[in-house]
Amino acid sequence: MTSASEEIGERIVELLPRLRRFARSLSRNQHDADDLVQSVVERAWRNLAQLKPGASLHSWMFGIMKNAWIDDRRARGRRGEVALPDDSGDHPAVNPTDMNANLWSVSEAMDKLPEEQRLAIALVLVEGMSYKEASDVLEIPMGTLTSRLARGRAALAAALGET
Amino acid sequence: MTYDEETLMAYADGELDAASRAEIAAAIEQDPELAGRVAKHRALRTEVAGALSSVIDQSVPERLRAAARGPLSAAPPAPEARPRGNVVQFPSRGSHAPGAPWRAREWTAMAASLVLGGLIGWHFMARSTGDVTSRGGALVARGELAEALDKQLASDQANDASVRIGLSFKSKDGSYCRSFVSRASSAAGLACRKDSDWQLAFTEAIDPEAGGVRQAASELSPSLLKAVEARMAGDTLDANGERTARDAAWQ
Repeated sequence: MTSASEEIGERIVELLPRLRRFARSLSRNQHDADDLVQSVVERAWRNLAQLKPGASLHSWMFGIMKNAWIDDRRARGRRGEVALPDDSGDHPAVNPTDMNANLWSVSEAMDKLPEEQRLAIALVLVEGMSYKEASDVLEIPMGTLTSRLARGRAALAAALGET
Repeated sequence: MTYDEETLMAYADGELDAASRAEIAAAIEQDPELAGRVAKHRALRTEVAGALSSVIDQSVPERLRAAARGPLSAAPPAPEARPRGNVVQFPSRGSHAPGAPWRAREWTAMAASLVLGGLIGWHFMARSTGDVTSRGGALVARGELAEALDKQLASDQANDASVRIGLSFKSKDGSYCRSFVSRASSAAGLACRKDSDWQLAFTEAIDPEAGGVRQAASELSPSLLKAVEARMAGDTLDANGERTARDAAWQ
């Protein structure tokens, strides 16, 4: 193992908490979120050659997660699967300690958003990215990002009873 | 002047240029309704970010850390083989630059499967070895354990040493503390210097069947980690700091 790949490995390890949070914004339970993170990390290693020199590893991996999540949703849709809800008491991976009421209600509300709005909300509101960074990750123009973000916010506020 | 929702949202997110920002800031001064709309954008952002923030602090499953290190890295045991789950292997000392301190953050990422949390281990120690005694109402290390705490350096110890030292640091009251794993006692813990003794601030039983005590030196259970964090002032000692402190007899 070369030291360069060791270094990449350590940088990816450092990104794991943020990758897990982004995944958790997109999935309603932690088990699905962690499966998503794992598939993203594996994809990243397979496609490492596509990471341009000087490009942000962080943004690149978030972009991979966006694609992986959308692919996964499509595949689940085709199989007619429904993701387990966050409050599924019999799900072994659901940790009761992270059942804080806020996480539950926000997850529920996020889950009702169209995919593209959920992505915009997750990147800007949860991950704290600038509009420019988020539009780069999502590969959309800034104006498109802004309107998705505004619509997502309105829907979230309504779902959370903040209209 | 009316503003559309996207503009107010961008203002709340700090995305407007200086001129537009100043204009809206002035408008808000004059218009409580406008101020309320901006406040709602900020409140929603705070609520959503706050709800997800706890995920950042959760321990990361070992399967993800293993995957993150890449297909070429020395494969750790598959998660299926370690049903206790959530084990995070501390990077070996060799993976650090010489003298690099063990950062608290790295330890924070850890949870140990080897440690049977919640069990108080001192009676195991007292029963099976001469590692512990009581002095002035406090449990203090003696024998082999005291010797290791006195002399052994984490940066220079045999892999099969009977006692393995984990991390050393200065506590908030200025005394030195060191974490340890004792193979003979099947115990792990934290000892802090008190005069010329090592008082046991925290101990717990570990399960030597669960993968060997040797690995356990580089892992902290959540409860041991808590004990460390509660006491630690600043950073852990690096190899030089550890040596200097030892040479000064941990005073």
